[in-house]
Amino acid sequence: MRAGHVIDATMRWSRGPFASSSIGALLLAVTAVCAVFAWRFLQWAIVDAHWQGASSEACTNGSGACWAFIAARWKPWLVGDYPTSELWRVWLSFAAFGLFALWVIRRSRVEPLGRVLAGFVVLPVALALLLLGGGPLSVVPPTRLGGLLLTMVVALLTFASALPAGLCLALGRRSRMPVVRFVCASFVEGMRSVPLLAVLFIAVTLLPMFLPRGAGIDLFFRAVIAFALFNAAMAAEVFRGGLQSVGRGQIEAATTVGLSDFATLRLVVLPQAVTAVVPALVNVMISIIKETTLLSVIGIDDLLAAVENGAKSPDWMGDSNILTSGYVFLALVYLFVCYALSRYSRRLETQR
Amino acid sequence: MKQDADIARLRGINKWYGEYHALRDIELQVASGERIVICGPSGSGKSTLVRTMNLLEPFDEGELRVCGVDVRAGDITRAARLAINRRAAMVFQQFNLFPHMTVLQNLTVGPVWGSGIGRDEADERARHYLRRVGLIDHARKYPAQLSGGQQQRVAIARALCTQPKLVLFDEPTASLDPEMVNEVLQTMESLAAEGMTMITVTHEMGFARRVADRILFMDEGAIVEMAAPDEFFERSQSPRVRAFLGKILAH
Repeated sequence: MRAGHVIDATMRWSRGPFASSSIGALLLAVTAVCAVFAWRFLQWAIVDAHWQGASSEACTNGSGACWAFIAARWKPWLVGDYPTSELWRVWLSFAAFGLFALWVIRRSRVEPLGRVLAGFVVLPVALALLLLGGGPLSVVPPTRLGGLLLTMVVALLTFASALPAGLCLALGRRSRMPVVRFVCASFVEGMRSVPLLAVLFIAVTLLPMFLPRGAGIDLFFRAVIAFALFNAAMAAEVFRGGLQSVGRGQIEAATTVGLSDFATLRLVVLPQAVTAVVPALVNVMISIIKETTLLSVIGIDDLLAAVENGAKSPDWMGDSNILTSGYVFLALVYLFVCYALSRYSRRLETQR
Repeated sequence: MKQDADIARLRGINKWYGEYHALRDIELQVASGERIVICGPSGSGKSTLVRTMNLLEPFDEGELRVCGVDVRAGDITRAARLAINRRAAMVFQQFNLFPHMTVLQNLTVGPVWGSGIGRDEADERARHYLRRVGLIDHARKYPAQLSGGQQQRVAIARALCTQPKLVLFDEPTASLDPEMVNEVLQTMESLAAEGMTMITVTHEMGFARRVADRILFMDEGAIVEMAAPDEFFERSQSPRVRAFLGKILAH
């Protein structure tokens, strides 16, 4: 107590009465600015906001947010141009995804890790088949997917392909064969030193030139391939760290109980390596979700593009508040999804 | 034939780490049922020698035959390493239990995935050896929940589960707290009493005196002396052996 008093007094003296009061004043000023900003925002977002209406006329008087725009144009930002008669497939996919997410959150510590990761590969493929059709289901071209649905499908497909590919690349970098090591290392390092946007443009413009005429791949799949390649490199680095964290003694012990190299990898190395990097993999997922906004740049109507296009449609033109409301809404959607994921990853870090 | 009674035979084994000559002209024959203790100052190549015998470390010159598998320098294959390790087992200084598996899974993973026996049989066998090392009550625990001495006894049980013809011990008590050394040594002594062929790297001279048929003294990568315990402790002529024993038995 005494020592504390002395130190307190010394500090007060050394800073001087002027210094301490100026820090107080600064804090007060910052708080005041924040409060004013928050009040203005709430006034805009709630008090003065317009909630109902079918066109920009609903939002012309006053200066509040235009949530009527979000509500009226729910279809473009939620599902894009998906055929109305087939919408049940969309609802089914959302429900399946929601159930899967719940299962992962509640069971991921109980179920074997391999089963959880397999789910992340199987579910996206199943959802893509359901949504795009084929067989008994009528075919829906990927261009009719949009908004949040498209974002979800692209993010899931990217994860489903980047995860196994990244694991293969990381293992390739430990291969006995120098050629394999070199190819995997150059791919990973190359991808890591190029911006994703460049990879996207290359996939969109250059990829068709290498393919035989007529074997065109849809823009949607070209974009997914670009995302997958880029994030495979990111996942490879994550897996590489995990593989390195498994000690040499573990591999030697596995050898001396008679396990083959493959069995050692599958039963001893991978379970420990993957467990160690689960939080880092969730972070890769978060960045994939945020990266999907780049789709709007190459002309695919993702969530961002759907909202922007909406604000340009004849019904909703003319008021800058409409676009601003759209952006705020977007920010909230991404904030919600990514924050939920990062909380989940934090929980895994403490409990695994 | 005489050579079939030998579990291990090493001829002219040489090994280098870069410039460093780690093993020099090793000649060694180990008969079935024999208990050998290897001792010597640190860095003398004791661990390297036992790790060479199950091919965890490759060697540069010479040839060996361990558990019926012939290997020559320059022709060390993964198949040979696998074949030797399915017949021989090893206990490590750092235990090296698999932390993500229960004690029981640690014991069954080798028999099931290496030797290819059924899961029920492997479970049965694992329980048998856990009972022998006195840890049957801990079968469902994870290694991190056990003490160091218990972990090492699990490691010994894991080694026995593959029903090896030869068990290599690489300083099995060196990283244990003093009060846990005895429980591990007792487990090893009971194993020796049953006629298991054992090659043990250790500084426990009491264990060596009680258990060993032969003591092998190494220095600077070479086998300096090889003798029965009585002769080794009482009548060794080698100044290096006497200096080593003087240091280790002084207290």
